[in-house]
Amino acid sequence: MADEKKRRRAAGRVYACGGVRRERVVVLPWRRTLSMCVANVRHRRGRALITFVCIAVVVAFFAATLAQQELVNELRRVGGVEVHAALERVHAGAPDGAAAARQAAQQRWLLGLSVLLCLTGITNTILMSVTERVREIGTLKCLGALDRFIVRLFLIENACVGVTASVAGAVCGLGVAVVQTGLMTAFSFLSGRMCMWAALYSGPRAVALGTVLTVVASIYPTLVAARMKPADAMRVDV
Amino acid sequence: MTTRREIVRTQNVRKTYVMGEEVVHALRGITLTIYAGEYISIMGPSGSGKSTFFNMVGGLDKPTSGEVYIDEVDIAQLDPYELAWLRCRKIGYIFQTFNLIPVMTALENVTLPMVFAGTDPDEAREKGARLLSLVGLGGRLHHKPAQMSGGQQQRVAIARALANDPAIILADEPTGNLDLKTGHEVIELLRRLKDERGVTIITATHDMKMLDVSDRVIWITDGQVSRIQSRAELDIKVGSIDGKQEA
Ligand SMILES: Nc1ncnc2c1ncn2[C@@H]1O[C@H](COP(=O)(O)OP(=O)(O)OP(=O)(O)O)[C@@H](O)[C@H]1O
Ligand SMILES: [Mg+2]
Repeated sequence: MADEKKRRRAAGRVYACGGVRRERVVVLPWRRTLSMCVANVRHRRGRALITFVCIAVVVAFFAATLAQQELVNELRRVGGVEVHAALERVHAGAPDGAAAARQAAQQRWLLGLSVLLCLTGITNTILMSVTERVREIGTLKCLGALDRFIVRLFLIENACVGVTASVAGAVCGLGVAVVQTGLMTAFSFLSGRMCMWAALYSGPRAVALGTVLTVVASIYPTLVAARMKPADAMRVDV
Repeated sequence: MTTRREIVRTQNVRKTYVMGEEVVHALRGITLTIYAGEYISIMGPSGSGKSTFFNMVGGLDKPTSGEVYIDEVDIAQLDPYELAWLRCRKIGYIFQTFNLIPVMTALENVTLPMVFAGTDPDEAREKGARLLSLVGLGGRLHHKPAQMSGGQQQRVAIARALANDPAIILADEPTGNLDLKTGHEVIELLRRLKDERGVTIITATHDMKMLDVSDRVIWITDGQVSRIQSRAELDIKVGSIDGKQEA
């Protein structure tokens, strides 16, 4: 299906040039895209680290909150007598009713705010690396890169950082949630059933959040990069 | 040279930049024909429009009015995909600042245009190595740009410009960032490529050394062609230019 489309596109690009009909193809294979992205991330480790930390922290926070809720719910469902007692004790100490609702709302605010901060921070970092590479992007275009190659390169480059950061953040967040819940119930659930795995359900969701965040943050800088002109390669002032 | 094939033809090319209130006439009607296999130097004072003219010929920018034909194709008629193909296959670019991709080795830089052209990877590597030894860098395939001197980087850039056997090589001040000796080597290399491969070479320069190897010199002043000197006229003048340089 995809092959058929590609072939039709290539066939449509037959071009009479100097009397000779030639097939016009401009391509960037996926494998080469990936290796270019990885090389770039390695080269600009500092920049990538900023994005990495931002995403990892937000994802860890999100994963921890989510996982703790899941764990407590699961414990309520399957936990033994002593677990219920422990949870009740913690519950008794906690604010109830309106106060609890307020606390939950506060937590949502905090998450929303950190997501926003993280978004602007990452967008800014990527934008900086785009403007730093004006000449490189211009050169790629002079060598025959299409706008969509530039889009692909920047999106994948940042998505790579985003996914690894999300996984790292999610693992940390889940760890924190397990330890926290453990402390609440004096780790009694460890001896019981393996309801600890409940925490893992929130993992994929946290990773998805982090990945989506990075991709959203990189859309604007990527468009800026793709719109750059090949003539920018000639610039001496950058 | 019985029938010379036209490779680039410009017809009354004008370019106007509008910046707010200010209007800059960078090119004021340039009509030129360049033939396949020529070595053309474009000379002129700073700000005379050399780079702007290059951008038009290289399909990097569109003229405000007038036409640019490359291989008898009006490049204004090409869509973005066809333009990319043209840049990839028909034209090799050499820049004053070398513009190698910093994260790639010499060989990877040279093979990049072949990747875009859809060349088989093994074939591309083999050809890239061949081109690098052609420019005298056969022993530095896996060096990164940062590990090479300016002259070596520019030679990698020349190898990269040759990757897809382009008909035209456009070089905007290729020796601008090089010292006298390496600049000379680069010019000599370009001349050899012209002689051995029949590539059309168009350079913009302030470098008088270029005059020795040029078939024609086109002087641009204030966005217009002010003078075209052919080889025969140049031979007479070279003596006086050498004299000036020594003085
Ligand atoms: N992108 C642009 N926007 C506005 N004006 C421009 C732009 N590019 C060039 N110009 C103007 O067009 C004129 C010609 O510039 P160009 O860069 O072609 O000169 P040049 O002959 O290459 O000079 P140099 O020898 O210094 O490289 C200059 O007056 C310049 O200010
Ligand atoms: Mg210039």
